[in-house]
Amino acid sequence: MATEIKPGRKRLTLGSVGADLLLVFWFVFSLFPIAWMVLLALKTDTEQTTTYFAFSPTFDNFGTVMSQRGTDLTSVDFAGALVSSVLNCGGAVLVSLLIGIPAAYAAGRWKYRGSEDLMFQMLSFRFAPELMVVVPLFVIYNQTGLFDTTYGMIWVLQLVTMPLVVWILRSYFQDLSAELEQAALLDGYTRRRAFVMVALPLVRPGIAAAALLAFIFAWNNYVFPLILTDSNATTVTVAVTKFLGGGGQAYYNLTAAAALIGALPPLLLALTIQRYLVRGLSFGAVKA
Amino acid sequence: MTTTTAEPASLTLENLRKTYVARGREPFEAVKGMDLKIRPGELIALLGPSGCGKTTTLRMIAGLETVTAGNIKIGDRVVQDLPPGKRDIGVGFESYALYPPLSVRENLAYGLKARGVKGAREMVGRIAERLEMTELLELRPASLSSGQKQRVALARALIRNPRVLLLDEPLSHLDAAQRQRVRRELKVLQREFGYTTIVVTHDQLEALSLADRMAVMNAGVVEQFGTPDEIYDNPANVFVADFVGEPKINLFEGTVERRGGDVHVRVGREGTLRTAVGDADDGRPVTVGLRPQDARPAADDEAGVPAEVAVYEDFMEFGLATVEVAGVDGRIVVQTPHGVHWRRGDIRRIAARPDRVYLFDTDSGGRIR
Ligand SMILES: Nc1ncnc2c1ncn2[C@@H]1O[C@H](COP(=O)(O)OP(=O)(O)OP(=O)(O)O)[C@@H](O)[C@H]1O
Ligand SMILES: [Mg+2]
Repeated sequence: MATEIKPGRKRLTLGSVGADLLLVFWFVFSLFPIAWMVLLALKTDTEQTTTYFAFSPTFDNFGTVMSQRGTDLTSVDFAGALVSSVLNCGGAVLVSLLIGIPAAYAAGRWKYRGSEDLMFQMLSFRFAPELMVVVPLFVIYNQTGLFDTTYGMIWVLQLVTMPLVVWILRSYFQDLSAELEQAALLDGYTRRRAFVMVALPLVRPGIAAAALLAFIFAWNNYVFPLILTDSNATTVTVAVTKFLGGGGQAYYNLTAAAALIGALPPLLLALTIQRYLVRGLSFGAVKA
Repeated sequence: MTTTTAEPASLTLENLRKTYVARGREPFEAVKGMDLKIRPGELIALLGPSGCGKTTTLRMIAGLETVTAGNIKIGDRVVQDLPPGKRDIGVGFESYALYPPLSVRENLAYGLKARGVKGAREMVGRIAERLEMTELLELRPASLSSGQKQRVALARALIRNPRVLLLDEPLSHLDAAQRQRVRRELKVLQREFGYTTIVVTHDQLEALSLADRMAVMNAGVVEQFGTPDEIYDNPANVFVADFVGEPKINLFEGTVERRGGDVHVRVGREGTLRTAVGDADDGRPVTVGLRPQDARPAADDEAGVPAEVAVYEDFMEFGLATVEVAGVDGRIVVQTPHGVHWRRGDIRRIAARPDRVYLFDTDSGGRIR
């Protein structure tokens, strides 16, 4: 009578096999540069320009990049850049969350005169190429003493992260039934407590997602630190390129090692907050 | 549910208005001057079609929507400028508004904790028992059916023992059997604790069975406010007559005919009905309202409307005859009692008790008495 549905069974058809093959192909294709970089990072100086897959791997490059030896070779303090990258990006994300969460809440809950325009304007910061604004910023930074400081970097990276945070979180707040907070108001909570106790915990997955994305965007930013910092507040993205020589000898193996190290912090962050990202999925149901 | 039963309070709405102003759109008047005086401990049903402003009215009373004009009083206290938490009102939301990360038990206790009420655990247990949901207490809202969520929402509105209770469609998602049980339990609880209560509903049976008095709303105004009997037996206008009553009242055109002391109304080519209306000039065109339950075969010496049965449906307890009357647009439905069987093609003369033949002004829809 009733057709039995077997779980986990898929019929093999020409179409489905073809689709799988295509996926495998795409997977290999997109992973290849990363695999290549890992191999390169494990090669010695003498082997760095070879294309062999068989060689005796060494982990020395990672040590070199992080230590004084790397600084001697390229005049860049990579470990220091790593720290200031974390400070810059962490600071920018923190500022964006502190200001962006209330802003997103207001934008998601209430329509007021010009609210849509304001949201659009915030997004429009992202339309202009960074190169266009960075020159005037350079002049301003030089005159105000923000050049090559952590504060200066936090301020400029916040331009990148704030719109992201506000736009992502606004839709989370919009999806949240306002009646939840109103029930809390009737129970005698103040507006602020209702926001903190009821709305905020429910958008935690949204906050985690927004923070992670914002951090990645800030971390990968290249133009602003390139022009607005020197040795003091410079970031990983800029420091990595220094291993390519810039006139002197190019160390491709060290560049690869530095890039791999530089990719770790966002990865670690993603793994730490993954828990919140996933838990968000099971909370959805407010109505039916 | 403790000894701290609040003294019942009256709820008064005076010329209450709400205009929604949205940018780029015409201002929209959702509530247009409502006057209601609800007595302490009374249960009022707010009945009306979708979009007529029922939820808006409740939200203004609860303080979740600003008041454009007018007054809201609980007892002698004017409350429209107080924050929601200071009004002592319990609300059962249409969308349940249950807090997803908390269990049902925690959801129920939440509001009590916010006020630092002692003995929350016992109160939760007691209300859960009354509303047949003890087995739900440890579950999360996400795993409840909509009917169960609705009962939890109802429990949460009741548990704080508010002076005024506002329920927005509290029974709409329950199945028929549950609806009857919860409806009765709601009424018992309401009587016992004397909450002054407004229940919003689409369902006229619910309104008729629950309410001490009911307010029939349409397009932001209260068309009639009275006991279910008054609403049913004495509708104030065509809208109320049409909205309340199942099967729907028959409405058709007629002309007033005065014969000596009696007032008749001419229906179609050959029919007349005697009516108890006093205040109608001869020859005035009117809309006639006749409930299917009131229509019956005419006695031999009585005025009546000849009609031919087009469809007859037998529901055992009663039957419904859809009849055609020469000269009348549309059909007229007549309810026949148990044991009476009409047949398609029968010719019957229809009449009704004179005070059950309602006349309405054709233009304004107002009742002619
Ligand atoms: N925030 C708002 N802005 C603009 N118009 C609104 C708003 N809220 C409600 N309305 C309008 O006000 C009218 C009354 O709405 P309300 O929700 O009170 O109706 P209701 O009687 O509860 O209907 P239902 O039975 O469908 O729940 C509707 O036409 C609705 O579109
Ligand atoms: Mg409604």
